[in-house]
Amino acid sequence: MAATGPIVVPEDDAACEELPQGQHGYERFAPLFIELAGCDADEPRWQHLRNLIVEAHLPIAHHIARRFVRRGEPLADLEQVATVGLINAVDRYEPDRGVDFLSFAVPTITGEVRRYFRDHGWAMRVPRRLKELHVALGGAVSELSQRLGRAPTARELAAHLDIPFEDVVEGLAASNAYRSRSLDSMMDDGTGSQQAAGVLGQLDAELEQTEHREALAPLLAELRERERAIIILRFFGNLTQTQIAERIGISQMHVSRLLSHTLGVLRAKLSAG
Amino acid sequence: MDHTRRHANPEGVQTVHRRQQPRHQLELRVDAEPFWMSGIRALTTDLAIRADFDLDSVADLTLAVDEACAMLIDVAEAGDTLACRFSVTVDEIMVTATLPVGRRVDRPSLATNTFGWRVMVTLADDVDLIDSSEDVGRDAALAIRLTKRRGPAGG
Repeated sequence: MAATGPIVVPEDDAACEELPQGQHGYERFAPLFIELAGCDADEPRWQHLRNLIVEAHLPIAHHIARRFVRRGEPLADLEQVATVGLINAVDRYEPDRGVDFLSFAVPTITGEVRRYFRDHGWAMRVPRRLKELHVALGGAVSELSQRLGRAPTARELAAHLDIPFEDVVEGLAASNAYRSRSLDSMMDDGTGSQQAAGVLGQLDAELEQTEHREALAPLLAELRERERAIIILRFFGNLTQTQIAERIGISQMHVSRLLSHTLGVLRAKLSAG
Repeated sequence: MDHTRRHANPEGVQTVHRRQQPRHQLELRVDAEPFWMSGIRALTTDLAIRADFDLDSVADLTLAVDEACAMLIDVAEAGDTLACRFSVTVDEIMVTATLPVGRRVDRPSLATNTFGWRVMVTLADDVDLIDSSEDVGRDAALAIRLTKRRGPAGG
């Protein structure tokens, strides 16, 4: 595969679309899985069948890898990880359970890629110093926000942490980067959605009054609960990101990333519709 | 003692500096393509952090600029250029995103009754549509000017 630059793909990377079944011709491998299950791993036939099946399903692994490409890891690495996921899926698949291979393989491969991001994405690429800075900044932002009643500035953070201004700028840039976004969204998906649900009830009435209701309401309904709550609180409830962060129970930086992502999704859908 | 301290006061130095350079300006011209959006975002964030705006204002301005550029890129054609002019003073950051349309036969327009516009109005203190797209000649352009004023964090 060719080297990848920063690719901007206008697709919702949160959506794990299903592969339409019965249209890919993969069903024809069903007998091979049964044969594979009947072979011993030390038989040459087993090796042959396994290779055949893995190779035939590589396009699926690559397809899944491409869905994660916007998160900043090189496509070649993602494809490799997805291929490992595919091999695991082939090895663990039990054809006699009555589930077709794709239904089993797609979540297995996706899980492998997600695990890769969790274990390696942020951890491997960001120097320890920046990671520590990220943690320190996160703590300082919430502490100062509480004390000041608003979000702090970079200089206030530098004074509070007693570190150079440039370090704060660098740390904030790193924290704003997509890698931590992908980390955050994988690590604590679901956090705060209960709080979000409560908030939504109150604000439904507000949304009713806007002229954008017709076009917007169905799109908002498609969003995940927390993303929807954040959009509504910011643009219809007029809360600041810091206030939203407090209310939903996540960091301001995370609110910022979620807003940015969700606005992009809404923009794409509004202009498509 | 007092005398020495007054001379060493960095505030005094900064006041002089500000009077000489009240405005920092930067212009970025890119192909009007989604490819450049993340670069524009990163630059906006960096400028606002360095101007010592509070982090909510930094994030708001970045989102607003993102929205403005996306709107212009959406009506751009292949070969169009997007110009983003950043102007930073002690009190405010002004970002003007301009899409020249003079070379085009069919002139695009922007609607302000959209959700995207509401997003910008919420995020920025002032949002202006500068529409000279119907002008004859090559200077015709569509522009969105966003102003974000420094919050209560002070100078």
